[in-house]
Amino acid sequence: MTRVPNYVVAYEATPQGREALELGVAMARLTEAELRICLVLQRLGAAPAKIHAASSDFEVLLAKQAHEWLGTAAGWVPADVTATTHLLWADSTSEGLIQAAADLDSDRIVVGAARGGLFNRFTIGSVANALLHASPVPVALAPQGYSAPTQITRITCAIGTRPGWETLLDSVVALTEGLEVDLRFVTLVEVDAAREKQSPVAAGSSAHLDTVLAYYQRHAHSQGDISTEVGSGSSVEKAVEALDWRPDELAFVGSSRLAAPSTIFLGITAHRMLHALPVPLVVVPTSPARS
Amino acid sequence: MAQSPASTPASSPAAEPSTGGISSKGLSAGSVGLLGATVIGISCIAPAYTLTASLGPTVAAVGTQMPGIFMVGFIPMLLVALGYRELNNAMPDAGTSFTWATRAFGPWLGWMGGWGLIVATVVVLSNLAGVAVDFFYLMLAQLFGNPDLADLAANVWINILTCLVFMVGACYVSYRGMETTKMVQYVLVAFQLLVLVWFSVAALLHFSNGTAFDALGFSIDWFNPFLTPSFSAFAAGVSLSIFIYWGWDVTLTMNEETKDPETTPGRAATLTVGIIFALYILVSVSALMFSGVGTGELGLGNEDIQGNVFAALAGPVMGPFAILMSLAVLSSSAASLQSTFVGPARTMLAMGHYKAFPNRFAAISPRFKSPGFATVMAGVVAWGFYAVMRVLSTDVLTDTILTLGIMICFYYGVTAFACVWFFRREVFGSARAFFLKLLAPLVGGVILAVIFATTLIDSTNPDYGSGSEIGGVGLVFILAIVLFVAGIVLMFIMRAVNPAFFQGKTLTKGVSREKA
Repeated sequence: MTRVPNYVVAYEATPQGREALELGVAMARLTEAELRICLVLQRLGAAPAKIHAASSDFEVLLAKQAHEWLGTAAGWVPADVTATTHLLWADSTSEGLIQAAADLDSDRIVVGAARGGLFNRFTIGSVANALLHASPVPVALAPQGYSAPTQITRITCAIGTRPGWETLLDSVVALTEGLEVDLRFVTLVEVDAAREKQSPVAAGSSAHLDTVLAYYQRHAHSQGDISTEVGSGSSVEKAVEALDWRPDELAFVGSSRLAAPSTIFLGITAHRMLHALPVPLVVVPTSPARS
Repeated sequence: MAQSPASTPASSPAAEPSTGGISSKGLSAGSVGLLGATVIGISCIAPAYTLTASLGPTVAAVGTQMPGIFMVGFIPMLLVALGYRELNNAMPDAGTSFTWATRAFGPWLGWMGGWGLIVATVVVLSNLAGVAVDFFYLMLAQLFGNPDLADLAANVWINILTCLVFMVGACYVSYRGMETTKMVQYVLVAFQLLVLVWFSVAALLHFSNGTAFDALGFSIDWFNPFLTPSFSAFAAGVSLSIFIYWGWDVTLTMNEETKDPETTPGRAATLTVGIIFALYILVSVSALMFSGVGTGELGLGNEDIQGNVFAALAGPVMGPFAILMSLAVLSSSAASLQSTFVGPARTMLAMGHYKAFPNRFAAISPRFKSPGFATVMAGVVAWGFYAVMRVLSTDVLTDTILTLGIMICFYYGVTAFACVWFFRREVFGSARAFFLKLLAPLVGGVILAVIFATTLIDSTNPDYGSGSEIGGVGLVFILAIVLFVAGIVLMFIMRAVNPAFFQGKTLTKGVSREKA
């Protein structure tokens, strides 16, 4: 029996929630997955106040409102994508989403990352940030103002030279299996602007990309074009901007080696990448601990 | 791998298809033990704030009988709370006096019950903020060793603006849906208790060393409430005592949150009131022995210090450690200020939802999932009320506390009678039902009604409270009447604009038997 993948969409009735939904739709179309639109409500504590803040009335009304929000969200999902809605109560939003991903056996959590960032770039909100430091499944971040393209045409994979890049690659291999989508492998190089362009670091990166390419071709069965590129600039942000980005593209990045096994921890370089990235980013957790 | 269905134990954040109901309720179930519930109870009462605000007005009303009054004042509170708990068990889906009173008495009294609660909150918010402002400048003065800083609080405009800053802060925290964490609550409560005991012991030491301001020998008669000079004084004292225990009943109604709903709430309520009783009697006796009831500089009868007694007494009693008292009162009033926003905001949200208030009040912030508009309105109204009072009254804190006593009597009274009326068909079923659903709330309600009427009549006297008056009528009376009349007028406006609620279309009246 083939398993239908499903993605948790971290929904709230805000522009960020809408962007998460859009990205969910785009990714569901790419991989024929289903969406689990989840709205997390914070569990109410016994607020210690002289006035009774008995939560029961509020709890019922809050749940009612949340179901309305979810209904609206379900209405936005186009006919070619299957989606269900879920209302959850948890102590914190990120905790609820991680629990939902476990309960629903989901493959990813999709979240609207933007909070008032400029020029369609990322400024990470608190929920996204919490997920980026704890999620056991890949987290997809939707940039501000994102809306789903009819089709994702290219996936860019940002690969570092440090150990652990195979995990990221395996994840991309699994995702692109049998898909008709272009693939691009990039490494980002910080160069001193004063020096000449072809620095030894950049040359090393090209060599590394060849290794990556060889690894990928050994394992993968996708059907699109494959390319490699080195992005260089005086900073990580500049290096990202030096590359061309399509509006209908997804970027993938791995977790920092600081992460615990099987969890996400967004590293410094990846964090800085986010600031300059105009497309959605999927952050993949580290591989499980080897026993 | 096959997809496993989301099977969800009640304790985990459950995921379920939207077709179903709420699988796990929003309350953090079973997370509070006896100690936690007691801490929440004491935290609700906020003893440091309560004592500084009420010691002066109580002495003004009943003199040395204060300890006795504090003891009898608990009785109506207990009786009403017992009925309150029955209502809470019978209508677990209704959270506020508004929904209860509407179910029991129909829309008109229900509306006024909700209004009473909102008004009481607005008044207490302004009093809390006022105390916080005083102590804020006092603490700065103590910190920098410059007494002039404490006088800044006496400047009306600086005071009103500082209060605005505090209100905005508290409102923002509530709007964000943030709550005080357990750890912070424990620390705040422990700190308050420690400082209050310290204050009492220091005051008693001054007494025994002969260095007290106006040493007053202890007398067992202080505990006899019947030695109170007049019934009016008695009523005023009881009305203030209800204020000092206000918040205690929260422990009784904490059912689902507690680890053992059968026993924990009752034990926590008993433990809470035991601690609070001991503390109030210790502090009131030691304050009397140190300061006396005269009108001298530090006398409890001095109108200039009555509204905020610890601000004046902490320095002489505790010496260099007085700053601890400032910290204790400031932290307790700031924490209460923030948490007190939650209650009226939720009540207004419910009233908005059932069309008893304009629709906008029903708005829930999509990002923070809090009653956004209602929270902001509570803040705006409380601050506006405070600003007006600051200008009108010579002693805003004393007057607001007295008004508050009247308001609490009103809405607790409504709740008590709501209980009797709602259970009227089943009270003779068992001795327990007779006692808890009829006798206790009825007696409590009658006591409150008598206190309410007496204090309301007495407050027409311009000498009542701070002595502020408008046209020869006491300010406290005018305040109470304006607040009630405003409620009635708004109710009729709402009735004209959107009659659905008043025709019983949104929330229906019922009797307890009909549920079965």
